[in-house]
This record gives sequence, C-alpha cells and structure tokens, in this order.
Amino acid sequence: MLSSVNFSDVTVIADLEAGIGTLTRLANEQVDVVLLVVEPTVKSLEVGARAAELAREKSLGRLIVIANRVRNQADLDAISSRLPGIEIVPVPHDPAIVEADRHGVAPLDSAPDAPAVRAVSKVAEDLLAAVKRS
Amino acid sequence: MKLAVVGKGGSGKTTTAALVARTFARGGASVVALDCDSNPNLGISLGLGEEETERLIAMRQALEEGEQEHAPGWDQLLDRFGTDAPDGVRLAVVTSIQNPEPGCP
Amino acid sequence: MVGKGGAGKSAIAGTLARVLARQGRLVLAVDSDPMPGLSLSLGLGVVDAPIPDEAVEERPEGDPGPRYRLRSGLSAVEAVERYAVDAPDGVRFLQFGKLRGHVAPFVRSQFAFRQILDELPPESPTVVGDLPGGTRQPFFGWARFADTVLVVVEPTAKGLLSGRRLARLALGDARPRRLVAVANKVRDPTDVELVRARTGLEVLAAVPWDEAVGDAERRGISVLDAAPDSAAVAVVTSLAQRLSMERMSNSIGT
Repeated sequence: MLSSVNFSDVTVIADLEAGIGTLTRLANEQVDVVLLVVEPTVKSLEVGARAAELAREKSLGRLIVIANRVRNQADLDAISSRLPGIEIVPVPHDPAIVEADRHGVAPLDSAPDAPAVRAVSKVAEDLLAAVKRS
Repeated sequence: MKLAVVGKGGSGKTTTAALVARTFARGGASVVALDCDSNPNLGISLGLGEEETERLIAMRQALEEGEQEHAPGWDQLLDRFGTDAPDGVRLAVVTSIQNPEPGCP
Repeated sequence: MVGKGGAGKSAIAGTLARVLARQGRLVLAVDSDPMPGLSLSLGLGVVDAPIPDEAVEERPEGDPGPRYRLRSGLSAVEAVERYAVDAPDGVRFLQFGKLRGHVAPFVRSQFAFRQILDELPPESPTVVGDLPGGTRQPFFGWARFADTVLVVVEPTAKGLLSGRRLARLALGDARPRRLVAVANKVRDPTDVELVRARTGLEVLAAVPWDEAVGDAERRGISVLDAAPDSAAVAVVTSLAQRLSMERMSNSIGT
C-alpha cells in the first residue's frame, strides 16, 4: 500500500507494530520520514539502535529520534550516546501525558499547552513547513 | 509525505503518531493515519474514545471473516475500514489480528 | 506473561524467575520476543544468540508435522541442557534469537524453541515465559506451553483494552488451565478493581508504581539487583509464593 499510491497530496502516518519486524519488511526508500520513538531505558534504546541501523540500511528518508520521558541531562545523554549523529528531539516527562493515558483521551484535547504536547507538535509543524517550502 | 513511527512497545509510539497526525491536519494537510499494530490502539490516542476504537476493530474483523483472500486496494481499505477521527484525520486499522507476520499489507 | 507493550512483562518475568529459583526450584526462563528484554531483567544484559542450526533437522518430505524439528536423538531436556544460557540464581535462559538489521534465519530456531516448550516434562523445570507485547503471539498459540497465563495490565485505557483482548484467550481452543491478571504500575487503590472489572480476570497481584523499577530499567539491570527491598520485589515475591502454593494444592487435589 505504501508503495502503490500517489501520496503527493496526502500525508500518511503509519504507527508500526512494536519492534523492528515491520521495518525489516519495508522496501528501500519506502517512507520519507521515520520517527524513532525512544525513552531513556536500555531496552528502548536497544530497539532504537537496531531500528536506526535498519532505517539507514534501507535509506528510509529522514530519521528523527523522539526522545520521550526525558527528565534531565543524564537521560538525554543516555539517548544521544546510544544514537549518535542522529537528529534528536527531547520530549520532557510530562504528568499531563500520564494523565491523558490513564483516561484514554488525546493529550492534545486534555492538555494542549503541556510541554510534551508542544514538543511533539513542533516536530510536526516543522515537517509540514519544510514540505510547503519545497 | 509518508511517515513511519517506530520503537519499542510502551515508549510512546502511538501517542506520538496521533499527535503528529492531528498537528499535520490542523496545519491544513490531508492526513491518513494507519494503525499497523495487531493490538490496535491508535484510535484512543487520536481521541476517538475506547468504545469507537473497539467498534472499529470489531467491524474490520467481521468483514475479514470469510472474505479477503489477498490484501484489498488502498481506497477499498479506507472506505471499509476507515473512520473519521478528530481534526479530520482519516484512521484505518489495517493489520489483521489474524496475521502471523507483522506489517501493513 | 502477556500484555500490552510496556506493561512490564519482562521486568516481572525476570524477577519472578529468580525469586522462584531462590525458593529452590529449577527454573527455565524463556523468551519469544525478537527484541531484547527478559535477559536484561534477569541481569544478563543483551543476549542475541538463537538455538543453533545443529540442533534442528528438516522433517522428511511426506512426513506430517512441522517443517523443522529437534534432530533425532536430541530430547527437549537435552536441548535445554546444551543451549540454555546461565543466568543469576541458577536460572537457565532460552530464546529463539533477536532481530537485527536483516531478517535473520530464525525459522529453525523458532521451531526448536516451540517444540522444546511443548515437550518439556510438566513438573520440572518451572518455566517462566515472556512473550512480546500485544496479541499476535498469544493468539497464535505461543503461550500454549503454559498452564498459567498471566496478563500484565497497566491501568491505562490502552493497557486495559489490551488486557481485555488478551482475556479472550480464555475463549479459544487453546485456553490455558489458568488465566489471571497482574496489575502493574498501580498508583491508585481503585486500579485493582478497574483491572478486574475491565478484563474479567482475577487479579493475582498488584505491583505498585515504583521508582526503583524505573531506575533498574534505565540501567538495564534486574530489579532484584537494583532494588531488592523495593515494594515491587516484595509483591512479586508473594506472587511467587502464591503461585507455588496454588500449584501444590492443585497437585494434591488430582
């Protein structure tokens, strides 16, 4: 599906199954942007490093690391040292997200001004602006 | 533009995908969100509500039972399995709970 | 252990395996997740190794059954003896391998892994299994070796929905003898009842939200080593005792 349709006027966002299984099945250059979501745990960064490796091997467009639940510089350093040379967007640990998750509501609706919501929204806004410029 | 959101389970993939999808939509883009997880939760993160999200899955499974021999076409998928989510995002749960291999068809 | 990704399956499984071993059991911790998890929670770090090809033979054409099987002369017990990795507290660790880069040839290893689990004797070793998050493997019977399946449920909307889906395992042909829930990252006294109500399962244990576990996860080590006196470890310890006692009384009854 990803390769068969003309997406020049549609933005497609695919939320893949956890892990790298789906990534291994993607054809080279099949997507324009990979958002690699990690948190500062060894397990999450293991998956992240393997996913980054694959994204590079398959030239899967621009790779952006969304570094979730970052509490401090040590958390950010743990992520950047495991994923060197990649664009990293830190997203702070945010009680508003925890609350939204508990209740099954979109953080954008329950807490639109929360720091974590703003950080991720900004990535999207910047990507959209880049598309519009080109 | 085609984006893929990847990561370890529990790291915030689905929450991120939903937020990005709705932000794009608010910025004027025509957005399709694909839930490729055999345990699909993207509807909840988009703000669709649990009931609507579960109903969506049930609809897909009901249609699947007895039908598709091979992956349906793009527009068919969106028509049959898609639903309108907040901010005009079109959501489709595309992977089969019966599929032994991960990935979008 | 089944549950939504991030619910805490590996952390609980790893801790449970070592606690059971400390109670005197012979424990085999098994991991069917293609991504690292259980080995870290056991205190082993990242272990990628699959069951080697030498353990497996192709079934002759025309012979009914799975395409690959343990080579003739190699029993499930012997395969564990040879190929399981030593973990702390005398726990042995077995997996079919970890994905990296290319699609590694795990097919043989997967067949061996499942056959071993099907053929191990029921009383020993005590097998503690960690499955990948989600419903895929559970619905494809990867937990069928287990007499007790624990659905690990974090009390969030997505966690509860996932728990409810997994509770449907009780409906299929391959339903386990026992299907229970373990509530994890519990913050509120009402969480346990929430898990019980949403999944319809008995909640056998309620592991509280614990900073100590978060710390162990950041460091990639076992909770048992990072925080042996933590509330989380205390709850998993009583879960182990409870599982053992119930197992004993089941045996006495038969």
